[in-house]
Amino acid sequence: MKQTLIFRFTIFFLAFSIILSGCGGAQTTSSQSITTSTGFTCPKPANESKVTSKELNIFVWTEYIPTDIIECFELVYGVKVNKDEYSSNEEMYAKISAGGTSYDLVQPTDYIVSLMVRNNLIQKIDKTQLKTLGNFDPNYLDFDFDPGNEYTLPYQAGTDAIIYNSDKVANPPASWKDLWDPTYAGRMVFLDDSRVVIGITLLSLGYDVNSKDPAQLEEAKVKLTELVKNIKLFDSDSPKTALIAGDVDLGNTWTGEAVLAQRENSSIEYVYPTEGAIIWQDNWAIPTGAPHIDAVYAWLNYSNQGDLFYLMLKEFPYTNPNKAALDFAKSADPELYKQYMDSPITNTPKDAIENGHRIEDVGEATTLYDQIWTEVKGGN
Amino acid sequence: MLKKLREDKALQGTLLVSPTLLFMVGLLIIPLILTLVISFGRRDADGGVIYTFSLANYARLIGFSTNCSNGVNFCWDTLYVDIGLRSLVLAFQTTVCVILMAFPLAYFIARAEPKRRNTFLFLVLVPLWTNFVIRVYAWMMLLRTQGVINGLLGWIAGLFNLPFQPLDMLYTPGAVLVGMIYEFLPFMILPIYTSLEKIENSLYEAAADLGANPIFTFLRVTLPLALPGIVAGTILVFIPVMGTFIVSDILGGRQVILVGNLIQNQFLSARDPTFGSAASLILMVLTLIVTYFYTRKFGFGEEIIAV
Amino acid sequence: MNPYRRSPIIIIATVLVYTFLYAPIIVLMLYSFNASRTNVLFEGFITRFGPVKMVDSNVVQSPCGPFHWFCDLSKNREVLNAAKNTLLIAITSTIISVVIGTMAAIGMQRYNFRLKPFSQISLYIPIVIPEIVMGIGILVLFSQLFSLLNSAFGLSGDARLTLGIGTVIVSHIAFSVPFVTLVVQARLQGFEKSYEEAAMDLGANEIVTFWRVTLPMLLPGIVSGALLAFTLSLDDFVITFFTNGPGSTTLPIYIYGLLRRIITPQVNALSTVWILIVLCAVFFLQRLQNRETQ
Repeated sequence: MKQTLIFRFTIFFLAFSIILSGCGGAQTTSSQSITTSTGFTCPKPANESKVTSKELNIFVWTEYIPTDIIECFELVYGVKVNKDEYSSNEEMYAKISAGGTSYDLVQPTDYIVSLMVRNNLIQKIDKTQLKTLGNFDPNYLDFDFDPGNEYTLPYQAGTDAIIYNSDKVANPPASWKDLWDPTYAGRMVFLDDSRVVIGITLLSLGYDVNSKDPAQLEEAKVKLTELVKNIKLFDSDSPKTALIAGDVDLGNTWTGEAVLAQRENSSIEYVYPTEGAIIWQDNWAIPTGAPHIDAVYAWLNYSNQGDLFYLMLKEFPYTNPNKAALDFAKSADPELYKQYMDSPITNTPKDAIENGHRIEDVGEATTLYDQIWTEVKGGN
Repeated sequence: MLKKLREDKALQGTLLVSPTLLFMVGLLIIPLILTLVISFGRRDADGGVIYTFSLANYARLIGFSTNCSNGVNFCWDTLYVDIGLRSLVLAFQTTVCVILMAFPLAYFIARAEPKRRNTFLFLVLVPLWTNFVIRVYAWMMLLRTQGVINGLLGWIAGLFNLPFQPLDMLYTPGAVLVGMIYEFLPFMILPIYTSLEKIENSLYEAAADLGANPIFTFLRVTLPLALPGIVAGTILVFIPVMGTFIVSDILGGRQVILVGNLIQNQFLSARDPTFGSAASLILMVLTLIVTYFYTRKFGFGEEIIAV
Repeated sequence: MNPYRRSPIIIIATVLVYTFLYAPIIVLMLYSFNASRTNVLFEGFITRFGPVKMVDSNVVQSPCGPFHWFCDLSKNREVLNAAKNTLLIAITSTIISVVIGTMAAIGMQRYNFRLKPFSQISLYIPIVIPEIVMGIGILVLFSQLFSLLNSAFGLSGDARLTLGIGTVIVSHIAFSVPFVTLVVQARLQGFEKSYEEAAMDLGANEIVTFWRVTLPMLLPGIVSGALLAFTLSLDDFVITFFTNGPGSTTLPIYIYGLLRRIITPQVNALSTVWILIVLCAVFFLQRLQNRETQ
């Protein structure tokens, strides 16, 4: 009697799953071309590599990898890609350092790379297996946080600046300091990122964005406490959603989110503040003890091909350090290329770069930043 | 050996219980002890744990600080106590609202015709079995600035040609309260129904015959008999509300910080597992204390099983 | 005749509460047909059939017509994977919980042994502590344990102990077992030992007695416990959040992840599917219940 209930239950679920899996799914038309379920034709891999692993575990930022790239990799190499996501470097770091995880690839931002190297959480890249280093613009290589690119490969770069809806905001902000304006109260969205938000406060006070001085940090904490009262929402997952939905009118976000928001609503503007925007770069890194190394290199080589990586311009338009991708886009999709080059959001103007600040590891002072973040968000 | 097994009753009992006991000890007791040990540690610069014995985390939670601004020797910073109080208040508000809303419904179902009772009851089960996260998302759609409620209100205002400013509902503490109520309402309806259902019709008739008015009957007959159900429901609602972080996360815009959010943050973005462990243990102790005094007064509520 | 049953206050309150319970669900289901991809305002149904065409951010034409987002959903392999995981975890943990929980209930109810008080208390603990405390504890345990074991035995590659489906199943068993045990215990309490004694008098040994007498009478309790364990596991978010690893995502975790991205009506479509499945399950249950009471 009731056993049949559970039995029916299960049958129903299974039947449903079978029906669902029946519709859709990728097709391989012939041995010549492989297409994904969206109709995108996967390019052939430029460097054939033998892959025996059956899975690849990637731990990446939310909304950061086009599904076509993942699907093409899965179809071409027959490897299942398991994707877990995070929305802050600290969250990623906490999970990786806690141990017990088996990720093959992560995407640390510049400042956390040195921290991970120091704690042996990521391993050196085997340059002999990596064939696509040459695809990158040398301006994005060999930074201070990873000299010689021993541990990382560039992914996307960009800025953190001010975004606002020109239809709703009568007096647009021009500097970080302006965001403390009481007329903005309850209308702002900020990134849920301790370094960025505390950094913004430090910049508005005229201090260095990587300050380790406890007195300056204390001052920043007080100033930030005032600002937090006016912030409606912290969001590092999809800040543009609240903007597009009209729940907030302005705030702080990244390059890619700004471009996507602008595509939905052309009255959304992105402005580099006078004190200087925050400049960053996300990179691929291989955690120590990654179980599927051969799949890792196959991924790094294949996904960075120009004819595949250019999809980023379409789906998640950040500043793209992959020169091969840009060159491919120039010839294959000139409209897309033009959009990318013309927009001051993706193609950051020189003076904004020079005026910008890069976040760095602050060593011991990290504890102070983390503590300030807890206290500032907790008190309401 | 086997003979001993057949004869020794105590041994048989122990063996039967042992797999369960293994799980309880391994996945409950040991983790709690580990959490306790870590709570006395300190964090290193990179977010790891230094095993020592220090009460610094607990001091920080209570707000005791020697690092004061006006040169005083020690002072109090009520930040974390505030978070705890906020959570307690929210849990209390949620429980009260849920009781007020669940009671009429449970009463209605209990007094309905037996044949129809099951239908009404199952109508309550559907939201209960719909996924937690989905139910929170549903409220996002209703409460946002261009959401359904504002849309409806705006349309009504339009009918009367009144000016309309959309209500600011999402990402506020009010949204979190509504979300919590919605999540836990079915957990209160079922236990109250179970105890109300046991009340025989004849009891009401007897009270009416003896000349009692409705309010009197309610206070002296219905309510006391429904009490076990209310108690069970309160336990099923109050405790989870104290620990939930997802409702305040999604509906509060990561601005409404409750104890659950604090703990989750410490393990993720703030990278202080020692402080998070301390907070986690304090939460558990608080919950146990509240539960102890509550069940002491009202009993454990066997209806918890019926759910 | 009970005069209070028809009280208007009660009826109005009931209607209001049911509305409160169902309004969000109905809105959710309605929006799964929303033509607008940004899913903020309801822009109407997709009426034209054909290859996908979009105007601004509205889908005006689709091969599946108004069911566009459901088709979208069926192509989403991550969802199917998550559903598969969720079912696998729920079924496995339920079966194991029921077996060891029933054993424990019988042990607790029928025998006396030294560890009995300790066992009884430890069974109540998961019910009264907030899930997050348990989740954090288990996470801390697994992290420390795995780091230790991995370095002690030099495990690497696929042999490494990591968070994954195994850890999730084990944690689910941990929080389900107390519920199963308590439910079966409650059933055992009202149980007449005389049946068993009669069977034994008639010559049946202990095993046969258990199988033919005790177990069938315990069955309703066991089934309730199983349903409870299954529901708890299916719906669990907090504990799974802290114990899962790559490839072991369950539906609740996946939906939470979806909410953190661009929210298209696909999320609503997924919710609608889930709600419909629940409705069918509840409907079956009711039919069964009605058949039994007849």
